[in-house]
Amino acid sequence: MNWLELLEKGFWGGCAAVGFAVLFNVPARALWTVFFLGLVGCLAKFSLIGFEVHVVIAAFVGASLVGVFSIRAAHKKHAPPLIFAIPSVIPLVPGIFAYKTMLGIISLTDKVGDNYNQVLAETINNGTKATFIVMALAVGVAIPNLITRKESAKEIDSPLPKMRRLSSKSLKRMIHK
Amino acid sequence: MLYNIYFTSKKRRIYDISVTLQRLNKTTMKLQSKDEIGDLGKVLLEIGTLLMSNGASTARIRMTVDRIADSFGYHADMLITHRALTLALRDSDENQVYNNLKRTSPHGVNFKLVSGISRMSWKIVQQDWTITQINNDLKRLQALPHYPRIIVLSFVSLAGASFCRLAGGNAIEMLIAFIATFGGLFARQEILKKKFNPYIAVLVGATVSALMSGSFSIIGPDFPFEHGFATSVLYLIPGIPLIHSFTDLIEGNTLNGILRWAHGLMIAFMIALGLSISIYLYHI
Repeated sequence: MNWLELLEKGFWGGCAAVGFAVLFNVPARALWTVFFLGLVGCLAKFSLIGFEVHVVIAAFVGASLVGVFSIRAAHKKHAPPLIFAIPSVIPLVPGIFAYKTMLGIISLTDKVGDNYNQVLAETINNGTKATFIVMALAVGVAIPNLITRKESAKEIDSPLPKMRRLSSKSLKRMIHK
Repeated sequence: MLYNIYFTSKKRRIYDISVTLQRLNKTTMKLQSKDEIGDLGKVLLEIGTLLMSNGASTARIRMTVDRIADSFGYHADMLITHRALTLALRDSDENQVYNNLKRTSPHGVNFKLVSGISRMSWKIVQQDWTITQINNDLKRLQALPHYPRIIVLSFVSLAGASFCRLAGGNAIEMLIAFIATFGGLFARQEILKKKFNPYIAVLVGATVSALMSGSFSIIGPDFPFEHGFATSVLYLIPGIPLIHSFTDLIEGNTLNGILRWAHGLMIAFMIALGLSISIYLYHI
């Protein structure tokens, strides 16, 4: 997979996240953050799939990244992390697997024919994939709270470096040296 | 060593001051508590039910209500369910007790309210708000406008087109997904306005979307529409119920977790039903 294609997918992931954010009435000041988080999640998921990682693991990594970044966003924008995290992981939901499962179940209601076993196997495959991905998304979003054993995002130290502080004070110091 | 003694003595002094302050606070509180506990109880129930119907997890509801009750010097115990909230509020001496039940209004996600209540709960703790202030802020938060309808429709439709692209669709399929999402969401909003059952609203939305996107299959057998068809109903997916279901289950709120899971499953079933109607009609 080339990088341009990956970036394009990330962009559409961000758009989907913003769409859901508007549906859930997320405050306008948070929409850019949601776009960024959706982009990050999709980039992580699709680049891992590009390296032939299993789709469940890829979705899990994407959702965990979104969860971790949402804590930082919550600190910065003074809002609960879930309002950033939930719209941003929705682009990772396996819509096409769920749809194929649905089609499979409908064709399973037909008479038992020659390729019944084939359809059954495919349906179960798609269904379990969809279920496990949704579960992985839920765990991924909850990961920062689970591993720090904190209830409120305010008590969690942001795992990401604070770039602004680095740019102003320490740069001046470095110049003086 | 010396430093350590100095440090602990200083700590001790601060502790003493804070204890006396707390006692003073309690004595003043007792004078006003008869009315206060009732008002506070009402506000807490209002906040809890608002959070529940606007898309917060059980743990968040409990945390927020506990935080506010603690800041007033009371202890809150709650039974949180999908449709109603029970609250028992008492002061530290168990002299004053407030106990009540409030029904939850119909569910509809509004993260602006959830975020606003979360910010408010911190302000209550840090700036010692009175109950009137809380009530005024709650009114303000509930009056905050939603996005205009056309904005919601076009952004969600854009999300549908994006989903289509993510699933591997081309530009024509993206357009199909956009149109079908727009129509389906419009129908669902109209149905919800007329106070239909929410699951029926999902069914109508899914059916309209699937009929609109499926109608492109009539053009010809080689016309690309399948990705658009599959992704045109994705705006209905029960993302919040399913994610909160898991959060509730892992935090031990098992009953609420199962409840949300069943709710999400009902929505998913309605989407499937809408899709299958279209599949049977168009022989896809």
